[in-house]
Amino acid sequence: MTTESNEPKSRYLQHLEIITGPLEDKKRWRQYKARVKQLPENYRIAVEALERYLMHFGPADGAGAMAMYGDLAELFEQSAADGTPIRDIFGDDPVEFAEAFMANYPLGQYRARERHRFASAIERAAGENPDREDRTKR
Amino acid sequence: MGKQLTEMLKGTLEGIVLALLSGRPAYGYEITAWLRDQGFTDVAEGTIYALLVRIEQRGFVDVEKVRSEKGPPRKVYSLNAQGREYLEEFWKTWSFLAARLEQLREGGK
Repeated sequence: MTTESNEPKSRYLQHLEIITGPLEDKKRWRQYKARVKQLPENYRIAVEALERYLMHFGPADGAGAMAMYGDLAELFEQSAADGTPIRDIFGDDPVEFAEAFMANYPLGQYRARERHRFASAIERAAGENPDREDRTKR
Repeated sequence: MGKQLTEMLKGTLEGIVLALLSGRPAYGYEITAWLRDQGFTDVAEGTIYALLVRIEQRGFVDVEKVRSEKGPPRKVYSLNAQGREYLEEFWKTWSFLAARLEQLREGGK
């Protein structure tokens, strides 16, 4: 579901968005929330529980996150229309489903930073890439 | 379906779905129904949806939106040339794995 326009942004909007973050993302977020509100109650409760999990471990913001929430709304609208039982959507292990779903989108900033830090530390410990700045040795 | 099958399915579900789509286009619900028919009863609908999102992102399928009587339009997935190439690679890997495992089993007798 694409909602962003391809028109170039005005200077004013560019400056405003430095403060607010991209306005398209906010619009897409509101659209997502409105779609969730339309769902039957048990589907809505399930999506909101998943949303909370994704907020912690998934991409926090940006276009990647908005694509994720759009896909999420689509899945639950379809499931509600088909009458798919909640348990059939999530399977025995909801966490496993959430992780598989999340893996399709960019990592959250926190996770991305820690993964990078971890991989770089191992690189240094393994004696690779010695040109890299290293504050842990000598 | 046992825990072991669930674990093994994780690495092969993508290939299974691509193979299914090589036969004919299908939408998400049809794919899940087919898997259930084949005895993969524990596969979550959401997991299939996530997989379809992934193979679409990776460009293995073409997607056509078809209007539905209830709910949002359905996405019908069909395997494209890139998907076929990937599926061929999958079968090669599968043959390798299956042959090695069979060898191990015979050696273990």
